[in-house]
Amino acid sequence: MAWRWPQSHFRQVRHKTDFPLDYYRATSGTPDLCARRALLRSAVFDARDHELWSYRPATSVVTGVIAGVREDGIVLDSRRGTELFTISPATATWLGAPTTPAALRPGDPVIIRHRTPDPAAPMRRLAECVWARIGRVTGTIIAAYEREFLVDTGSHDRPSQHVVIAPASARQVQVRFPKLAPGYLLDVIGTRHGDHLLAVAPATAQPPYRAGHSPAPPLVNGPIPACISGSVVWHEPGDEPPDMLGLGYPALDPETTDPETGDQPADGGTGCVRLPYLSLGAAVRIRNECSDRTALLPVTSDGALHRQFCDRCVKCGTSPKGRLADLTMAAFVELGGSLEDGCFNATMTLAG
Amino acid sequence: MLATLREVQIPMLAVLLIGGCAAKARSAVTARAGTAGTGPTQMFPVRLRRPAAIALCATELALGAGLLLTAGRAGQGTPAFAVRVATVLLFLTAVGALQELRARRPDAGCGCFGELSRTPVSWRVITRAALLCAAALSSIGVAPLRMPDSAEQAWLTLAVAAAEIAALAALSPEVGQAMIRLSHADPCELRDVPVARTLTALRASRSWRHYQEFLIATAPVDIWREGCWRFVVFPGELASRQVEVVFAVHLSGRRAPVRVGMLDTGGQVAHLGDEPSATAV
Repeated sequence: MAWRWPQSHFRQVRHKTDFPLDYYRATSGTPDLCARRALLRSAVFDARDHELWSYRPATSVVTGVIAGVREDGIVLDSRRGTELFTISPATATWLGAPTTPAALRPGDPVIIRHRTPDPAAPMRRLAECVWARIGRVTGTIIAAYEREFLVDTGSHDRPSQHVVIAPASARQVQVRFPKLAPGYLLDVIGTRHGDHLLAVAPATAQPPYRAGHSPAPPLVNGPIPACISGSVVWHEPGDEPPDMLGLGYPALDPETTDPETGDQPADGGTGCVRLPYLSLGAAVRIRNECSDRTALLPVTSDGALHRQFCDRCVKCGTSPKGRLADLTMAAFVELGGSLEDGCFNATMTLAG
Repeated sequence: MLATLREVQIPMLAVLLIGGCAAKARSAVTARAGTAGTGPTQMFPVRLRRPAAIALCATELALGAGLLLTAGRAGQGTPAFAVRVATVLLFLTAVGALQELRARRPDAGCGCFGELSRTPVSWRVITRAALLCAAALSSIGVAPLRMPDSAEQAWLTLAVAAAEIAALAALSPEVGQAMIRLSHADPCELRDVPVARTLTALRASRSWRHYQEFLIATAPVDIWREGCWRFVVFPGELASRQVEVVFAVHLSGRRAPVRVGMLDTGGQVAHLGDEPSATAV
């Protein structure tokens, strides 16, 4: 029997030895899904962006729990074990408000942005910014009682969140969120205390419309721009690994389901900015206009809720309306963002 | 001439009422969460908006159908009178509601024809409602409609109807919106494209015919989208080795390009430890 041996396929077929070994974990877990899909895409388009896709932890961000605080440093229990980060007078610490490292206590969950001041001594790392117990709740108010609220975040792993507005911050929150009633949107930053978030600052101004009634986006004529500008926000890890670099995307393709859960993307309304449809695992390049840092990040979750916010970020200039992405905490900090600010001005480009 | 003008109002009003109801219903069915409550229903409390919208649509449908059913001899007398008076009251209420909406929510559209009526309420829309009210008033007492007696009568009827349609179009911002939407096409990155359509395009392509023989399953194991491309992955076998065949289908429409790639998966998945990466952000 003649053996058909189509030569063109030999040039097309990629062999497993050509690819990073991470591919072989690609049958489960979102970071591996991203890597797998990037490899499959590169098999079609012969691009090399899959090389950027080896699952990698953040290089300048670490998350963990405070094991001890010394005069010259912070001892942290992280995923990699016990680590020491030196501190300096310039180390910025946040625990509900700007404070000093001395305010940190063993057991406090923290996220640290660090740098290596001496390349010859890479293990000596200096903490630039330390955020302790920081949390954020974004969603629709479903119940309200005085300063306590139950908020529907639209998230599978944390569907309802309990928020308590700190008495000292009540006026500040009320000014930015005048309608603290069921059916209206809420976005606050605060400190985590057991089962609730103690809100200390509004993350944005409340939209004047009710949840689900955002203004219709403008019609788009011609090809969409290669670079889209707007604001980028962040979310807490939830079920995600705390040091994962990724983002929630507001415009997941409504026709394709999450390969792990089989769920379709949530319906967040039409939104006020038209973003190209993507799926989980797609890659986007995010540039922080304020810190001039760029990263290639995978779409790791559904950010449909953020279609309802037509706000601008004013950290460095005024961004166009609309939220482009909802970064993981690690990605937000890695790109030079300050968590207590809530956002940074950004541009987004599709990778590949 | 006046009699012809009065006679034309009945089918004209019926078409407008039924068309308005259909447009509102279509808008409600196809819209996502963000467009609930349009036009004067926005002045109602949120929990009453949907019932109010349904009631308005049902009233328009009932009156439109009623005008048509009572236009001939069968519905003459009290039924015809009741339907036409109710139509007058509906448009009179609409004039008042639009005035109120314009004062309270200057940015809101009238919602008269669903998605097409998002332009803020202006004097044109209010004038249109007032003219329709006058048209409904003039239809009260009209004799049962019948076919034109002569060609001249038929032409006169058509001319009067055309003039009225032109006058209504001049007062309707929906016409401009419809023209914009007809000439507009979303770029492919923004289009909702069903997966079934992608699979149909794939299976009709030359690439599918060429590579189908290497597939060991006809159902895809993975599907995802990146902008204008949708990727569909099938398990396959080539030269006794397991492969994954990935098709990239462009979502631009008919005869869209389809590109293919193969990945040698080499059989069993290897379990490996963590490997640090030197790639920096």
